[in-house]
Amino acid sequence: MEKNKKRTLKHKKRVGFAKKICLQVFFIALCIVTLIPIFYALSVSFNANNSLISSNFSFFPEEFTFDNYVRLFTENDMLLWFGNSLLLAVSTVVLALSVSIPAAYAFSRMRFKGRKTLLKILIILNAFPTTLSLFAIWALMRNMGLVNSKIGLILIYTGTMAIFGLWNLKGYFDTVPYEIEEAAMIDGASNRKIITSIVMPLAKPAIMVTAVMVLIYVWNEYIYSVTFMTGSDNYTLAAGLYGLQANETSGSWPLFAAASLITSLPILIIFLLVQKHMVSGLSAGGVKK
Amino acid sequence: MSELARRKLKKNARPYLYSGLSLLLIFLIVVFPIIYTLYISFTNMNLYHWYDFTFIGFQNYLTALFSFDSGFLTSLGITILWTLVNMVIQLVIAYCIALLLNSKFLKFGKFYKTLLMIPWAIPGYVSILLWKTGMFNYQFGLITKWFNDLGIVIDDLLSNSVSAFICCTVVNLWLALPYMIMIIDGALQAIDRSFYESAEIEGCGRLRKNISITIPLIKPIIGPAVLITTFTTFKQFDIIYLLTKQPVNTGANISTIITYAYENAFITSNYGYSSAVSIIIFILLVIFSALTNQNVKRKNSYGEE
Repeated sequence: MEKNKKRTLKHKKRVGFAKKICLQVFFIALCIVTLIPIFYALSVSFNANNSLISSNFSFFPEEFTFDNYVRLFTENDMLLWFGNSLLLAVSTVVLALSVSIPAAYAFSRMRFKGRKTLLKILIILNAFPTTLSLFAIWALMRNMGLVNSKIGLILIYTGTMAIFGLWNLKGYFDTVPYEIEEAAMIDGASNRKIITSIVMPLAKPAIMVTAVMVLIYVWNEYIYSVTFMTGSDNYTLAAGLYGLQANETSGSWPLFAAASLITSLPILIIFLLVQKHMVSGLSAGGVKK
Repeated sequence: MSELARRKLKKNARPYLYSGLSLLLIFLIVVFPIIYTLYISFTNMNLYHWYDFTFIGFQNYLTALFSFDSGFLTSLGITILWTLVNMVIQLVIAYCIALLLNSKFLKFGKFYKTLLMIPWAIPGYVSILLWKTGMFNYQFGLITKWFNDLGIVIDDLLSNSVSAFICCTVVNLWLALPYMIMIIDGALQAIDRSFYESAEIEGCGRLRKNISITIPLIKPIIGPAVLITTFTTFKQFDIIYLLTKQPVNTGANISTIITYAYENAFITSNYGYSSAVSIIIFILLVIFSALTNQNVKRKNSYGEE
């Protein structure tokens, strides 16, 4: 009996060990398979002699070089594209926050005619796919003289993200207790003062997440920037990458790979930094009411 | 005006002042396009009637819905198939991976999870174009190369509708799985361990535990995320457009309703017709979300809210 028990224990341990090994192997394989496109882009972008057509491909470049990256900045306007995208992203974040915070505050704290209806209508309107607005917005921008202008794109991006910003921030403001503000009001603080010195510090996680979501949206958007930015001075990263892949047959694939990686890096870093806060800042606001 | 009346007016106007700018932008960028699209949808605006378009009533709608040649119904069918295939595969794979990530035998789970999240953090259009050139391209795509190494000669993967559909599905899974894994992983961690202990005492097997405990318990938690993903999958444009339709059409003929509307506007310049299709899509989406909202509400009525 005793011996038997020992044996099953030993057996269990051995099974556990086998399971551990299997799981490790599985996850290592899964990660490698998942990251293959990225490994490939990395390898191609750093490879000096592009043996692309040859079949002996390896994930490690035979001859290492920064040449493709240098060419992006010297022969192409990578710096300009990057600057344009950055300018658009930062301006949109600033504008979106400065229109959404007071609006969300109004919808969270004040009671006025049409408040509930407006909130509901906004959700319904948000169902209209942005891609389908392209033609109408193009007509609008042409009449306003804002085609091929950064201001036009900033307005489009802010407007597109305004409903998300309003709902997400409003949802979070709703969870901030009102008592503190009441006390401040009795002390004679103005509404603006209350927003800037009480509500905003308390709602920091939601404001940060909203800002990051807007930033990521602008950085990742391509169809509007490619359609509206017709002059090469206004090219964003998306428009630049588009141009690079358009002549893929002429052998710019290594350049394209390098440009892809540079484009992805900032968002990847931001994403990994805020990953932890993502859940608290999003789930508290927005969808849940 | 008395001081009191002025103060009251100021107080009444305040919410509109605060939200005015935001609502104005929403009106310009979100509401105006819908109204304009609705207006254009009743006209024959196209390449030949660019300025001198006239009202043609519901003709565009009738063409889309009742003339089978128009291609709208076909693309609607493809969209539904696309949504079903993607959601089922996505849920099954994400569930299995999340279960394994939570296995007590796994070490470095956090490390693997971070690595698996990377596709989520890369701009979508970059990923899609990387897959297009790096994996599927006929000349230097890895997948073509692997097949050649095995001695199998294959056609251009994106030139054929069936293989292009599979390629699009693979890319969609690559892009969407990280989010789904994270959601299911979060839900799994919220399950009370004691359920499993009592199930073990009862002598339940692994399958039984999954079907009777894990799945029913995570269902309400992952519900909203699954719904949102279903809508994004249904509205998917980027993958199909970037992989098969630009810079030139690769030869595959798969259109979801959104790419169909886009092509009718920007390739064949049938603005009136494309607008009608857009409005139909909008109505479909609103109906779907109203139905699902009701469902969620009914299910939650005994719950927290």
